[in-house]
Amino acid sequence: MSTEQAFDLSVKASLENLQEIRNYIDQVGARLGVSENVLGDFRLVVDEAVTNVILHGYGDLDGMVEIHMESDGDAVIIRIRDQANSFDASHVSKPQLDTALKDRPFGGMGIFLIKKMTDEAEFRPLPGGGNEIRLVKRGAIPPRD
Amino acid sequence: MTTLNIMVGQEQSSVPVTVLRVEGDIDAASHKTLQDTASELIDGGATNILLDLGGVDYMGSAGFRALHAIANQLSGDDASGLSKSAHLKLLNPTDAVARVIKTLGFDVYLDIFQDKSEAVNSF
Repeated sequence: MSTEQAFDLSVKASLENLQEIRNYIDQVGARLGVSENVLGDFRLVVDEAVTNVILHGYGDLDGMVEIHMESDGDAVIIRIRDQANSFDASHVSKPQLDTALKDRPFGGMGIFLIKKMTDEAEFRPLPGGGNEIRLVKRGAIPPRD
Repeated sequence: MTTLNIMVGQEQSSVPVTVLRVEGDIDAASHKTLQDTASELIDGGATNILLDLGGVDYMGSAGFRALHAIANQLSGDDASGLSKSAHLKLLNPTDAVARVIKTLGFDVYLDIFQDKSEAVNSF
């Protein structure tokens, strides 16, 4: 029988806090029993998602970002919430991986990585304002002997 | 706060090679440090850069934007097609960083070496 666990962090949406957020993901991931490879993916996708919130959501405004992480069987679900302006990730173009570097646009890599390294990535506006990114990674927690 | 330390060294093969040994995480808070350091070196005359990533445990998309900008600044107008950069190469990325390099397709553009002498002599 699995024991579901949940953890929450609320932190100022600031680039200065990215390191702390990655450390938090490491700590919670270890407590949930996430495998080392997947933990690296989580560090990356959460960092990219929060960076987007800071740079494209809040811009010059102050705000908070909430990170919720829980286990569901062998899966891990991460929810990232903010109170920023809506950010429609579906409008972000995919990086052009088959184009000469000189001609390749700079953007789109963060969203691409988030989608590539999770099984589900849902971006939605919240009814009362703000946004939620819901990420699911199945098979993140290996069975214990 | 993410801190990034960059040590600059000089090597010589058939051409001069500037080696940047980077230590720390490269994220949206720190990538400008790398980009600005490289840009100043290029403005000062550096034409070939070997980026030693052995001390980088984390590199997100901001780090790749920095690599992209450095490669473009080094190549000037002479880069076209899908050929690898002749002026920017990578040394010894950690497994986590190497995985993202591959996912984003940067291994198509940048040579990656595990051995420093081999890397320096490849310029």
